Amino acid sequence: MKAEGLRNPFGLATDEIAHRAREIRKRVILMNSGAGQGHTGADLSEADILACLFFRVLRYRADQLSDPERDHFILSKGHGVGGLYCTLAEAGMLDEKLLGTYLQFDSALPGHPVRQKTPFVEINTGALGHGLSVAVGLALASKKQHRGCRVFVLLGDGELQEGSVWEAAMSAAHFKVDNLVAVVDRNTLQLADRTESIMALEPLEEKWRSFGFDVSSTDGNDPARFIGTVEGLALDSGKPHVIIARTTKGKGVSFIEDQAAWHHRIPVGDQLQKAIEELE
Amino acid sequence: MTEAGVPTDLRQTMVGVLLAAVERGTNIAVLVSDSTSTAAIGPFAERFPERLVNVGIAEQNLMGVAAGMALGGYIAVTANAAPFVVNRANEQLKNDVCYSETNVKVVALNAGFAYANLASTHHAIDDISIVRGMGNILIFAPSDALECEQVFAFALAHTGPVYIRLDNVKFPPLHDPSYRFRPGAPDVLREGTEGLVFSMGSVTCEAVTAVDGLRAAGRNVGLVNLPSLRPLDRATVAELAAAHETIVTVEEHSIHGGIGSIVSEVMAEYGVGSRLVRLGIPEGQFAKAGPRAALRRHYGIDAAGITAAVTAALARDARESITRGRTAPPTAAGKPDRG
Repeated sequence: MKAEGLRNPFGLATDEIAHRAREIRKRVILMNSGAGQGHTGADLSEADILACLFFRVLRYRADQLSDPERDHFILSKGHGVGGLYCTLAEAGMLDEKLLGTYLQFDSALPGHPVRQKTPFVEINTGALGHGLSVAVGLALASKKQHRGCRVFVLLGDGELQEGSVWEAAMSAAHFKVDNLVAVVDRNTLQLADRTESIMALEPLEEKWRSFGFDVSSTDGNDPARFIGTVEGLALDSGKPHVIIARTTKGKGVSFIEDQAAWHHRIPVGDQLQKAIEELE
Repeated sequence: MTEAGVPTDLRQTMVGVLLAAVERGTNIAVLVSDSTSTAAIGPFAERFPERLVNVGIAEQNLMGVAAGMALGGYIAVTANAAPFVVNRANEQLKNDVCYSETNVKVVALNAGFAYANLASTHHAIDDISIVRGMGNILIFAPSDALECEQVFAFALAHTGPVYIRLDNVKFPPLHDPSYRFRPGAPDVLREGTEGLVFSMGSVTCEAVTAVDGLRAAGRNVGLVNLPSLRPLDRATVAELAAAHETIVTVEEHSIHGGIGSIVSEVMAEYGVGSRLVRLGIPEGQFAKAGPRAALRRHYGIDAAGITAAVTAALARDARESITRGRTAPPTAAGKPDRG
């Protein structure tokens, strides 16, 4: 298969990925602070998952993103775009000077991903519950055309309250897209409160399993465990895959961690210095 | 693929174009949401089963999967009932297709009140209004098989989102075989001097019958079909409107947001002072339920209703012209002289 010639351009070891994730987090703190806005909690929650995907898992060539054989990534939880921009900058696919324009008028980096503006963005997410359907379509297109590409999609846990996610899940199993890997950023917080108090998701693994998914659960803030889970997936099993990645929202900065209030807040004053120090 | 001179189900025309395109090597996938019969897509499914994707009764997923397949290299053609695509899958249409500019052709079947007595859950009298509110998508409403064939050919050749408003009844041929659909171009079906009717899609055949009757009775009324609502050559619409004292728009759609709105916007923007009568479902109402012919009669968008509305509008304008001592006809060049 042609895809066999494609590899991740970094292929980093897990300790190096952990280092990259810290760098991504520092960029997030500085970028959001500079912009005066940002979904800091989500950006930090997902940083390890993004680092694992872009520095180890995804098979692509940065200068050939039109290659139909490359892997795809969809940030279905589009509000985590700050984490994605900082990951792309860390991977050299985004000019880091652009990070200073985040959220400004007509910026190349708006507050949700825009495929016309940013490399590796497949679809313009931000409204929740869209990414998995698009991922199913991409995965199905790949299967039907005998391509080797795999599709990774990162969902928020609160996002799973959208009914369209389950329409997509049903179809993923029906179409047997085993080249699809959904990752749930399971930080147990949504905008206003705990997912379990707003609209309970548990038993989450059973839900996915009953929809026909191959279900794994791992620590989404531990690159070694996350990579171990991804690389252990049987991508020819005839079933789509979901990884429940247990994370901490705001991971890496003590006063941001696991606080619903930090969903859409930025560090100010002394907090900025303290956040960066904690990430060094 | 279209038999000349015979009323044709435009879905058959669509299927013919799709089959021919795949046979020529065009990479098409057709997506349905349990709407294989609604779309009359059987012949395509039989010939190219691997190119037909049925997502079940899940219109949001239909649009999202279509966007994904388009990103994966297909021209994705969705075919399901108009109300369930513009209303149920509104956000997927907006974000996954329009905003993301994916190469999806959205075929909205049984638009207007084609579902007639199945009532307002199944009517789409707001679809043009809704889709016009979205960026990046072209909007077409073919009026007969010849036009439909060319609309589909254009849509497949165009990279990007296209909305096509279709129906479930046979449409009589309205065009000379030499007709060439051009995106944006108003389609002048009858030239006239007294009044001008603008029509859209499924009721253009009613307007043709009405206008031909009026002309046979000595009233030199013109008729312009608007198959292309976006793009639209607004200057030409304004010029056509300005050449007539009386303008009547006809659509199986709410007068809010369809061609009644479009023509009035153009007339206002270009300072065309002709009088406008908009026929369709009145502002702020759902359509009644019942047999389609009865509905068209009720809303005055069948041939008889259009005839009556044009006749009344011409009579009123004639009275007002006499009252105002008006003598000169309006000019084609600009704002008509209303005395």
